[in-house]
Formats: sequence, structure tokens, C-alpha cells
Amino acid sequence: MPAEVRFDLLWPEFLVAGLAFAIFTLDFFLRPERKNILGWISAIGLLYIIAFTIPFLNDESESLFGGLYRVDDYALFFKVLSMAIGGAVILGSIHYVGKYLTHPGEYYAIILLSVLAMMMMAASGELLTAYLSLELLSFCLYILSGFALHDRKSSEASVKYILLGAFSSGLLLYGIVLMYGAMGTTNFAEMAAFLDGHGEINGRLLIGLTLLVTGLGFKMAAVPFHMWAPDVYEGAPMPITAYIAVGSKVAAFALVLRLFAEGLLPAIDQWNILIAGMAAVTMLFGNVVALAQTNIKRMLAYSSVGQVGFLLMGVASLSTLSSNGLMVHLVGYSATNLAVFFAIIAFYNYTGKEEISDFAGLASRSPFLAAAITISLFSLAGLPFLAGFVTKFYLFSAAAAEDLLWLAGVAMVASLISLYYYLKVARQMYISPATEGEDSTIKVPALLYGLVGVMVIIVILIGLYPEPLVNLIEDATAVILPGGDASALSLR
Amino acid sequence: MMEWAWLIPAMPAIAFFFLATAGRCLPNWSAIAATGTMAVAFIVFWFVLADWFSMSALPEVKAFGFSFDWIKAGGSTFTWGMVIDPISLVMVGLVTAAALGIQIYTWSYMSHEPRFTWFFAVHSLFAAAMLALVLADNLLLLYIAWELVGICSYLLIGFFYDRRPAAEAAKKAFITTRIGDVGLLIGILLLFAKTGTFELSAIFTMVENGGISETVITAAAVLLFLGAIGKSAQFPLHVWLPDAMEGPTPVSALVHSATMVVAGVYLVARMFPFYEHSESAALMVTLIGAFTAVGAAAIALVVTDIKRILAYSTLTDLGFMLFALGAGGLTAGMFHLLIHGFSKAILFLGAGSISHGSGQTDIRQMGGLWRKMPITAVIFGIGALSLGGVPPFGGFFSKDEVITAVFDGRGWGFMAIALLIGFMKALYMGRVFFAVFLGKLKPENEHAHESSMVMLAPMLVFALLALFGGFLALSYTDGYQGFGYFVFEGTHQHPFHLNKGIAIGSIALAVSGFILAWMAYVQGSLKTEPIIKRFSGVHRVLINKYYVDEVYQWVIDKVVLVFGRFIAFFDRAFINDIGINGTGSIVTTTGRFMRYVQSGKLYTYAMGMIVGFLGLALAWWVS
Repeated sequence: MPAEVRFDLLWPEFLVAGLAFAIFTLDFFLRPERKNILGWISAIGLLYIIAFTIPFLNDESESLFGGLYRVDDYALFFKVLSMAIGGAVILGSIHYVGKYLTHPGEYYAIILLSVLAMMMMAASGELLTAYLSLELLSFCLYILSGFALHDRKSSEASVKYILLGAFSSGLLLYGIVLMYGAMGTTNFAEMAAFLDGHGEINGRLLIGLTLLVTGLGFKMAAVPFHMWAPDVYEGAPMPITAYIAVGSKVAAFALVLRLFAEGLLPAIDQWNILIAGMAAVTMLFGNVVALAQTNIKRMLAYSSVGQVGFLLMGVASLSTLSSNGLMVHLVGYSATNLAVFFAIIAFYNYTGKEEISDFAGLASRSPFLAAAITISLFSLAGLPFLAGFVTKFYLFSAAAAEDLLWLAGVAMVASLISLYYYLKVARQMYISPATEGEDSTIKVPALLYGLVGVMVIIVILIGLYPEPLVNLIEDATAVILPGGDASALSLR
Repeated sequence: MMEWAWLIPAMPAIAFFFLATAGRCLPNWSAIAATGTMAVAFIVFWFVLADWFSMSALPEVKAFGFSFDWIKAGGSTFTWGMVIDPISLVMVGLVTAAALGIQIYTWSYMSHEPRFTWFFAVHSLFAAAMLALVLADNLLLLYIAWELVGICSYLLIGFFYDRRPAAEAAKKAFITTRIGDVGLLIGILLLFAKTGTFELSAIFTMVENGGISETVITAAAVLLFLGAIGKSAQFPLHVWLPDAMEGPTPVSALVHSATMVVAGVYLVARMFPFYEHSESAALMVTLIGAFTAVGAAAIALVVTDIKRILAYSTLTDLGFMLFALGAGGLTAGMFHLLIHGFSKAILFLGAGSISHGSGQTDIRQMGGLWRKMPITAVIFGIGALSLGGVPPFGGFFSKDEVITAVFDGRGWGFMAIALLIGFMKALYMGRVFFAVFLGKLKPENEHAHESSMVMLAPMLVFALLALFGGFLALSYTDGYQGFGYFVFEGTHQHPFHLNKGIAIGSIALAVSGFILAWMAYVQGSLKTEPIIKRFSGVHRVLINKYYVDEVYQWVIDKVVLVFGRFIAFFDRAFINDIGINGTGSIVTTTGRFMRYVQSGKLYTYAMGMIVGFLGLALAWWVS
């Protein structure tokens, strides 16, 4: 342990926190009609911090505060990703906030705080730090999902989210306590050492781990702990739905991947079948129920539950290969989902509607939005030459390589089912004619136009040429799974 | 400059994306964008060529290549890369020059066409795909480009899609070549299965040092040749090319004579080590080439539509090139490919100029046109003499190389066939030239006029190339000792050599071919009607193209469609109704049922979590 704490490594976190408080402060001095500028300041600020953070990616690995907090390529990768997602969501919110929400200052600042929480989750090196940052993220999301103050659905979503979230946090904390009782540590590396020594997981350790999985399962929205997701997705303001779907998932998996890789890997034979089962149930359940949805937000909620199943598959088959696959999939999934959500936000800002049937005739009302949504949904379904294909390919082949061929098979079936409901949306947009009186051309503001365009381009780029991203991710995984031999480092 | 070679296919690709997206807003820029990018590609080619000559002085250098990783998956790395060696340089030079000249020609030829922009867009995409095809250093990229040129060919043949024959011809071309492509794909996958790579150089190394068994080499060579048969319109997949003349004439000139159709020949040349190591595959190439050449040349003697004559002559020449390749004459085949590209481009552009100026396409309706369009006549004449194989035109040199190569590789019998093909080439070239330009001018052609300079200028350039291109065979400096030192198989460099006996024979045959045609179509001392009457049966068979189309139609109607209907019934009844819809309705019903679990009640959700936790713990404890 170094004698002094290297605070300079924490600059990105300090800057994000500082930016959040600056927004809170600025909010006092701006007249209400000028407050849109706060969104721009937050987004551009985040962009600067990203540019500032990227040079930190230099294969340096530091433990701060006696292993509580880690600064390494893995954490930095997720920090940059979190900030990028946060910045994108803020930009995507600007028109929405102006039209539907009040208190923009708090809105943007809380998003910034949640970005901070996400950054900390990726960097936590032990359970309590992880728990604290998880709670910070959750609190931010509770508030944000109830931000449409005059919308009863939004308030209902927020209340449900808080109550169930508190419940799950309780379980999670209890799980941590039991694990501490059993192992005498909450530090990931020491947990691994303990598991190496005492192979068997039983008694309070078993209960503790199960509780931990339950709590984290809630945050990820894995079946059967997913039930909050559709209600919250539907009730929350649209950009926040996007944020929950993408950001909270990225952060949760950043934490889970590090926890399982650094802390629980020695006992993989004892938990992998459980996670694999959870993955299978989650992907099948999410995708099958999505079939029956009529609201686009609910459909996407279930579809993202299904995606969690795919991601869990990467945890279940934990290896260098599969954690690369998992991270590639997370990035592709984020870009794709943001593209869909931004397009839907643009649609909603103009029409105020969110049923799938309202998308009828969109191809003639706004060819751009229709094309963007179609490309993104096809990417989610995993069609070739789009991000979803490449990332699923990596993920599935990793699972197959780790003797989870049956799970890869289930994942294929689930993907196939998902194609059906994605195509239903495409059919609405391209084949069904627009309803009478609702066939005006949709005006898309330049900002959203650009955001959707950028996301779609990323989706296509990852699909065509994933190599640079994969190389970046291989560096990041090398930190949490240093044992992987050189040949396993490349995606075989 | 070598590493800038990627610009060559990239430039027209950029033009395509620009025209396809923004072209509609900037119609006046389409020709400039397409031609400008093509010109850049052409200039880059010259720098690359100069670089090649400055670097290849080192004796061990046989090819330059560079690539970057595209996807790593399943034990192999897929790359995008290009190889620069004499074969690809010949092809790049031909394609960029022909595409550039023909695009300039198109400015004037298509200027009244409302979908001018779209034409240039597809034209550019075609050029990009073709250049990627010839530069590809691995079979996967080659296959992608191969299919892309197929698509472009389809779009260009069917450019006038509101005309039924054009639409039909486009469909026919696409489907027919697809049959060959299946063979190509299977061949590529077979090689991938046996070698684990798509890299050409790695595969060739394995072929050389026995890493692949003889049987696999032969099988792959034959399968790849199937692709070549489709693309280069060899028997029995030749039927699409004559119909492809429904496309605009610049397309016929570029795609269906000078460049795309030689992709098959290029494939055989590129995969030459395979044919060197498999005598039976090489023999098959020779036989198919010779058979197609003779058969098509005979048809070219009787059809009367000018573009169709040229189409059958293209078939002949493609067969001729494969004939040479199959006999081991890589140099000869590639040289004939190059010279044929320029000569045939002139002939097609000339034919376009003729029908543009006179409104006629049937040679029986023409005659004496040289009075109205003298420049076209001279240029067309150069093309005809070149392909007819009269010295000192380019075609003489290349034809002679082919005949010599066939003699060296296959002996007397095949050489006789090659000489016969040479004679028939002279005969039909003489026929088309004399019938169109000499003789009496018909009154309905009084209004015929010479084409604009924009159309004539590229033709003139190609004419010079056809006129002097043959001298590329000869040695000039230490840096360039003739085509045989540039393109050669293995280490076997060789200078251009005339076998005097063959040369005299082939010149005599070529000249007599032209004289016979002159007697028949100008002087009139040789009457064609009695000959046609005497051999009316043969004539009918030839006019009907050996009834191959009819046979295919019958097979499609009576066999393929009947079988298809049975499959369709099976698909409807079993797969669709029971299999798909059955499973589908089970899944959707399940989905609807499970939706009820989502009650919206908070305590249900919390209960769900507890049950989930208990289930997990129990499952874990039990396991």
C-alpha cells in the first residue's frame, strides 16, 4: 500500500461531482426560460471530462484507500462509457425537459451525480464501497423516475421503485453482512483468497451469496427480480427510461463482472450453473413476454430484461473470452438502445404518443426515424453487419467455448423470438398506413437528428469493424482477469 | 505509393455513396463526381505501377500486400487486404482506364436520360467492386466483391427496367450467374475447411508444399471454375450474356465485354497454382474454353443485331482466354484479356455511336455508313482488325501468344482448333465491319450523323491502345523486358517469341477471313444466300443458338417449377401451418398468460423477489 493516497487519480470523479454542484448552483442564477443552457453545460462539461480522462488509460493499476477503490483500465473504460452515456442522455433530454418537465437544474445535476455513482461502481474494490455507490445511483434514479411531477404514472413508478429498491437494498446489505461473517472480509481479492482456501460454499456463505445475487439481480432486472422494470420504464420520463435501461445496466454489470471475476472466480464451478439457469430463464421470459406488449416502452423494458439474460450468460461462463464478449455486448447494447430511445423521444416530443400502433406509417412521416428505429431494432435482434450481431457472436461463442453450449442454444432461440416483436414494430412503420389525421411529417430537431444519427453510425461501425473496440476491451479485461493466458486474450 | 493503393477502389466507392445519398439534390454534379473520382483512381494506379517497377527490380519480390484485421473469430482472423502483383496491376489498369473512358463517353451518350445520376452511382459502385475484386488478397473479400459486381450488372442491365426485355435479361443474368456463384462459394468454403484461412498467399503456399491433397485441389479448382463459367459466360452458363445487351451500350462496353465478364478469367489466372497442380481441372478449362469459343464464333457469323454479334464475339474471346489459361499460358491469357478489353471497348462504343447516329441496330439495315460517320468507321475498323488478329494491331500479338501457348501446352490438335477460332474471329469481324460501313448507303440512313467529340475522344484513346497495345509484348529496357517478364507463372519468365510457322499460318487465316468477308458483303462475288440455303439446317440451329435457351426453359417449366410447387405445398401445410404458426401461437399465448403475473401490485412484486430468493437458495443448496 502506498504511503500517500494518490488523489490525482480521482480527478475524473472530482470533476463530475464538481460539475454537478456547479449546475445546482447555476440553477439559482438563471431565469426559468434560460435553463436549457444547463443541459448544454452538463453535456459539454462531461465531454471535456471524457477527453481529460482518456489519457489516464495507460495500463496503470492502482489501489486507493487500502483496496477500497481501484483505478485501472477496467474502471476507466467504464468511467468513460458511463460519462458518454450520461452525456448522450442529457443531450437527448434537452427538448424533452423543455416540453414536459420542470426543475431542469436538479434534473441535470442529479443525472451527473448518478454518472458519478456509476463511475464509482466500476471502480469499487470491495463490497461496501460497491454498496454505497449502488445506493447513490439508485437514489438518483428514484428521484429521476418520479420527475414528471404532475404525471401520476411517473409518481407511481417512482414510489414502486423506491419501495422495492429499498427492499432489495436490504437483502443486498444483509447478504454482504452474512458474507463478511463467513469470510471475514469484503475485499474482492481477499474473498478470492478465502474461496481458494475453503472450496465449499455452504451455510451462511451460501445464504449470503444468494442474497447478494438477489439484490444485484434486482438492480440488473434479472428474472425473477425484474418486476419493477416494466412499470418504472413505462412511468418514468422517456429519457430517464433510456438512462435506466442503458446506464444502470452498464454500471450494474461493471460491478458484477469485477465482483465475480476478482472475488468469486475460484468457486466458479459452484455458482456458474445457477447464474446460467438465471440467464436462461431471464432471456426466455423477457423475450416471450415482450411479444404481448402494446406499449413501446414496456416492450423495450421486457426486451432489455431479455438482454440481461444474454449478459448474464457472459457472467455464467466467466472467462477472459466471455468477459470480453460481455463488455463488447454492453457497449453495442448501449449504443443501440440509445438510438432507439432517442428516436422514440423525437417521436414522442412531436406526437405525445407511445403505443406501438401509433408508429403506423412512420416510414412516410419521417423516413429517418423509421430507418433509425428499424436499424437499431435489427441490431438488438442480432442481424448481421450491425453491432448486435457481432457482440452476440462474441458472447455466444464465449459461452459455447466454456461448455455452456445449451445456454448459447437457448440464447439463439430467445434472439429468434425477439426478432418477431421487433419486426412487428418495423411492420407498423413500413407497411401499415398512418391513421387519418395523424399523417403529418414529424419535425425532428437538429440535436435529436444528430444524436440518433451518431448512435446509428456507431451501431453500424461496431457491426462492420469491431476490432478497435475489442482491443480496448481486451486491455480492460486483462486487469480483472490477469490469469488469462495470452492466446485467450484475443477473442478466439 | 504502394500503400495508397486502397484509394483505387475507395475513390469510386466514395462516389457511389455520395451519388446514392446526395446525388438527387445535385444532379449536375453526378457525372463530375463519378468521373473525377475515377480519374483519381486512375492516377493512383499509375503511381502504384511506377512504384512496382522501381521496387520489383529486387528479384525475390513477387507481390506486395497489406491488410488489416477485420474480425477475429472462431480460431481465424478475417482480414481486409489487397495484393499488388502483375496480374492485379493488369486488371486495375484495364478497369480504371476503361471505366474512366466509358464514363466520359456516357456524359454525351446518356445526357437525355432522366436517371443520369443513378446510372453514374451504379457505374461507380461497379467500378469500386470490380477493383476490390481484382485487388482482394483473400477469397472472402473476393467473394463479396464478386457478388457486388453481380448486383451492379443486374442493376445496369435492367437500367431501362420499364422495358420488359431489359428486366427479363437482368433477371436472367443474375440467376444464371448465381448458379456458378454457388460453385464458387462451395469451393471457397471447401478451401477454408481444409486450410483454415481465406488468405490467397497462405493457400498457395499450402498448394506448393503439398499441404492440400490432390483431390481437394482438383475439387476446389473445378468448383472455382464453376464461378468463372457463370461470370465469364462459358458454356453451359453462357445464355445470359447475349441478352445482357439489353442494357445501355456503355454498360455493355464496360461491364459485359471489357471488365466484369473477364472476372472469371481473372479468377482462373489468380488461382493459377491450382490449375498447375491439377491436370484434369486444367484440361476442363481448356475444353470448356475451346468449346465455347468455337460454338459462339459460329453464332456470331449468323446473327444480325450488331450488339449481339459483339456479344458472341465476347463469348469467343473469353473462351479463347480460358483456352490459353487451361493450356498453361498465363501470360498469353492475361495479355489477350488486356488487348481484348481495349479492342472490345472500342467496338461496343463504336456500336453505340452507330446506333446513336443512325438509329439502327440490325446490320442488314446498315451499309455505307462510313460516309456519314468516318471517324467512327476508322475507330471501329481498328477494333475489328485488332480482334480479327491482323498485324500490327494488338489483337494479332495476343492471339498469336495464345495460339503458341496452346501449341506448347496441348500440342497440334488443340492448336488447330485455336487457328480455326482465329479464322472465325477474322471472318465475323470482317462481316460486321464491311456490312456496316462499306457498300451502299441506304436511303433511310441519310440522316445519320457523326457522334459528338465527347463520345469520340475516349474511343480514340482506346483505338490507340488497341493499335499499339500489342507492342507491350516486346522488350524495351531492362526495366520492362516485355509482357512475358511482367506476368508469368512461377519463375518462368519468357520473352515474346514468334513461332514463324504459326504466325504465318494465323496471319494467312486472318487475312483470308477478312477477304472472304469482303467478297461476301462488299464485292458480292461470294453469295451468302446459296450457302445459307445449302446448310439451312445448320443455319437454323445457329440462329436459334443451338436451342439451349429452349432446353433450359423446358427444364425450368417441367422440372424445376413442378418440383417447386410440391415443395411450396409441403412448406405451406407442414412447415408453415403446423411448424411455424403452431410454435408461434404457443409462444404468444404463453406471453399473454405470463403478462398477468405483472399485476402492478407492489406486494406481488416483493413476493416474487422472496420466492425467487428462496428458489435460488434452495436450488443452490440442493445442487
